[in-house]
Amino acid sequence: MLFNIHNATSALGVLSLGLLMTVFLTVICGATSLVAGVFVALAKMSKRRWLRIITGSYVTVVRSTPLLVQLIFIYYALPFAGIRLNPLSAAYIGLSLNVTAYLSEVYRGGIEAVSKGQRDAAAALGMKSSVAMRRVIFPQALRTLIPTLGNYIVSLFKDTSLASVVTIQELMFKGQIIAAGNYDYMTIYTMVFILYFVVGYPAIRFVTYLEKRMKTGYAAKKSSKNKVGISQ
Amino acid sequence: MSNPIIEIRNLTKSFGSNTVLVDFSTNIKKGEVVGIIGPSGSGKSTLLRCINFLEIADSGSIVIEGEEVGVGKDGEHTVPIGKITQLRTRVGMVFQQFNLFPHLTAIENILAGPKYVLKEGQADREKKAQKLLEMVGLAEKAGHFPEELSGGQQQRVAIARALAMNPEVMLFDEATSALDPEIVGEVLSVMRKLADDGMTMLVVTHEMGFVRQVADRVIFMDEGKVVEEGTPSELFDSPKHPRTKEFLSAILSHTE
Repeated sequence: MLFNIHNATSALGVLSLGLLMTVFLTVICGATSLVAGVFVALAKMSKRRWLRIITGSYVTVVRSTPLLVQLIFIYYALPFAGIRLNPLSAAYIGLSLNVTAYLSEVYRGGIEAVSKGQRDAAAALGMKSSVAMRRVIFPQALRTLIPTLGNYIVSLFKDTSLASVVTIQELMFKGQIIAAGNYDYMTIYTMVFILYFVVGYPAIRFVTYLEKRMKTGYAAKKSSKNKVGISQ
Repeated sequence: MSNPIIEIRNLTKSFGSNTVLVDFSTNIKKGEVVGIIGPSGSGKSTLLRCINFLEIADSGSIVIEGEEVGVGKDGEHTVPIGKITQLRTRVGMVFQQFNLFPHLTAIENILAGPKYVLKEGQADREKKAQKLLEMVGLAEKAGHFPEELSGGQQQRVAIARALAMNPEVMLFDEATSALDPEIVGEVLSVMRKLADDGMTMLVVTHEMGFVRQVADRVIFMDEGKVVEEGTPSELFDSPKHPRTKEFLSAILSHTE
């Protein structure tokens, strides 16, 4: 039989632990990148040239090279330069650096897309640029970016499978170990496939929901009794 | 004559090869309502934007409350940005496109300045915001987002937002140009009320009727220069400069 139900059930416990690690990596790297991306975006738009050069180079290097190579470099090459990281730190740093770079571009695009009129209005009220950014520009940018950011987090969820190369015991790694033991590649990798899908599918549905929600206006959040609409 | 509240000294500004202000000077007295009229591209809006430092002139200076802000060799203002920010709090500005903050309700828009800039206490600022909403006739729209308001209502909220900063001067940059003709009146009546209360106002507009009735002085600008200025009756009833006559006859022929 192609799919061995006995092998599947006996692997499920270990694979679930792997899935837990996958989700854990997604959450910590995602949270770090969602925050760090904002600061990298702001640094890329800074008036200080050196800050723009440093952050710009970082983003360019990350975007121009494969994540798999970045992870391998951090874990296997850096020790030769005296930087020794345990697997989890290497995966955390590698994945976060990667996703932060992409998210910073997303944030920058969103911030730049807020109309000049909004900046003018904030400036005319005497807001310092930091206050204008925090209270006027960023909240508007963030709202339009939420679905895009969600998509990147879903990508991160899938990309954590690459952390298996630095011996992180996430879902893919666990699958490889079990399959190497019982040679039932079909059953084990089908299980791995399904477990990714079980989390990934609801996640993309949620992103689609956020997209739809974003298209309705600001007023849609309010309770229906306040929804008076335009009256004149 | 009382001291001017704003002095504009020899302001010159160009965008690329396009010169929009040429050696422009005038003084604005406290409580004065100045109408600024002229064809599109004559530099009216740029003048207002320079007064609020949203644009940096190429040369010349602006004196607000005795503080002279010029233009340095580096193309930046001669005073630090912190000072610019502080001066802006004294000058309110109303834009053609309203520029309300879409993620905030009407009352939150009005509260933004008092809360984040003036740092007034919550009770004080909320009382003031409520009063301003009443003044512009929109007390019942406090919790509405800009997208739920008509253009005229949005612009009235924008006026209230500017007033919440307790400005000494209000700048109106074609405040009614984006509005449907039938709702222009509701915004103009708020502006008239302000003028009656003694607010110093610079009004860039194509609403000649409003300028004639409300302004103390009218400046006709063309190609970045003052072509002619005087009281409304001087300018509208007996314009001296041929360019003024031409402009007024063109604009009045289709509005009156």
